[in-house]
Amino acid sequence: MTATIDATTSALPESAAPPTTTTRRRRRMTVSARIAAGVVGLIVLVAIVGPFLVGDPNAGDAARRLLPVGTAGHILGTDGQGRDVFARIVDGTRLSLLAGLVPVLFAAVVGTALGVTAGLAGKWGHRSIMRTLDVFYAFPAVLLAIAIAAALGSGISNSIIALAVILVPPVARVAETETRRLADLDYMDAARASGASRLAIATRQVLPNVAPPVVVYCTALIGLSIVYAAGLSFLGLGVSPPTAEWGLMVSDHTQYIYTAPFLAAIPAIAILVASVAFNVLGDGLRDLLDVRSEARA
Amino acid sequence: MASYVGKRLLMAIPILFGVSIVIFITIKIIPGDPVASLLGPTGSPEARAALTERLGLNDPWPVQYVKWLGHTLTGDLGTSIARRSDVAPMVLDALANTLILSAAAAVIAIVLGVAVGALTALRRTGVLARLGNALALFSISVPQYSIGLLLIIYLAAGAGLFPVSGMYAANGGGGFVDLFNHLILPAVTAALVPAGIIARMFRSSVLDVMSMDFVEALTARGLSHRRVMLHAFHNTVPSLLTVAGLQIGYLLGGVIFVEAVFAWPGIGLLVYQSITQRDLPVIQAGVLVSALAFVMLNLVVDALHGLVDPRIRA
Repeated sequence: MTATIDATTSALPESAAPPTTTTRRRRRMTVSARIAAGVVGLIVLVAIVGPFLVGDPNAGDAARRLLPVGTAGHILGTDGQGRDVFARIVDGTRLSLLAGLVPVLFAAVVGTALGVTAGLAGKWGHRSIMRTLDVFYAFPAVLLAIAIAAALGSGISNSIIALAVILVPPVARVAETETRRLADLDYMDAARASGASRLAIATRQVLPNVAPPVVVYCTALIGLSIVYAAGLSFLGLGVSPPTAEWGLMVSDHTQYIYTAPFLAAIPAIAILVASVAFNVLGDGLRDLLDVRSEARA
Repeated sequence: MASYVGKRLLMAIPILFGVSIVIFITIKIIPGDPVASLLGPTGSPEARAALTERLGLNDPWPVQYVKWLGHTLTGDLGTSIARRSDVAPMVLDALANTLILSAAAAVIAIVLGVAVGALTALRRTGVLARLGNALALFSISVPQYSIGLLLIIYLAAGAGLFPVSGMYAANGGGGFVDLFNHLILPAVTAALVPAGIIARMFRSSVLDVMSMDFVEALTARGLSHRRVMLHAFHNTVPSLLTVAGLQIGYLLGGVIFVEAVFAWPGIGLLVYQSITQRDLPVIQAGVLVSALAFVMLNLVVDALHGLVDPRIRA
């Protein structure tokens, strides 16, 4: 037995595993990924404790409106209603982060459940689940989210539902691909032969192995989800004024684009920093765990 | 080849069927009473009953779905609540404008994405490569509307180089040059995100191909670097096509932000305005038409795929 395996491996040309840097496993996170992890930690910290540290984000002083960045007492200036922009950015971190994070968490749970079920189910179960999910790929994702959010009416919970719906299919695909790959492996045969129930196989044998690629994929999805969530608010489908939230702030600040051009850029930069941090962290995790995930939605 | 395209066309039918069900469900989950919103608070009970009957709202859902599908297939997309006119011509005009914008953005995205992707793949260490990587990462993380706003601030409002909004100048406009001037900023804005994704994908695809045996074999045979690169490039085309197709589809959805910022009179702006007016028939028609365009686009990409890569035709 071993002889045959040895024969096949030695028969392979040496260049089957090219010694390029791209295929080399990197065991440690890159510097940029570690910085990104730090930034993500900081954002989460601000989201948790930030609102307690700054003053009332809705307290405005009409006499002190549109103050520039760097004004004493208002480090990022004030907006069109004289509200402190720094306080609103900090206070808005919690909602902006939640609006991006919750849909991904939901999609991770539901998508993994669907993907694993489809991967382990028989031909018809697999077909009915995956073909149903294919329908969602027929829509431009953002537009579908907008249509769902518009139908449900504005509000942060509706925007979260809309985003969750569009994020489930890609996660399910990643989970399904991985499950199908595992299903052919010997240890799965062993589990089946030992009389383990389907549920036991799914939770004990499959889930622990499907989790890493799904986690990596979902980390990268968070960045996208934050941008989408802010986008829905920007279009008036998220939280309602005067709540502090980044996307809504961009849309609110846009009306002063000629008098105070930089104002609209501040919340946009906040969205950018959060999104880049999660994207870089996702890249770093993928390199670290050496998983290849499917193309994004 | 023809049978391959035919097979793909047949496969699109159940997908479109599913699309119509999803859109029908979004119509049905809308909270609130459509009769009340059409008649206003003053409608008499008789008028309400008559309208309910006329809209077919007493029928069971499957019957309503079949009727709705029949109307849609015959080109009747309903009546706009806010504008009191037929939705179909409105949506088709808007779709044409969106396609102009998307096509321009697609050209920019593919050219830029391929250039940056190839550069960062072939020169992995230089300053330019690092810059390209950073740019690719940046462009997929940045919200599109904010890029648009920055371009407006600096190039349109600040330097006065380009018009800020619309598709043609209000007076004395029209013609290709006017359209082109109005097109540049929104097209660049819409192109940036897909360009970043194409660059990242193309980079890894070039790296994959360059590590294949045939590249070494061709080099060993003494082909010039240029010839080797030509062969290598040929092998990146299928994956490039997939990514570009996906991203152009993504453009059809993403342009809503760009159209909202630049007041480009396409599907996105129409849907955006309809959101603020709660004009649901227009929103649904807009999404339906976009999904249709998206499915068609995927078909074209699949057909092209079969053309450049004979292996998948089988």
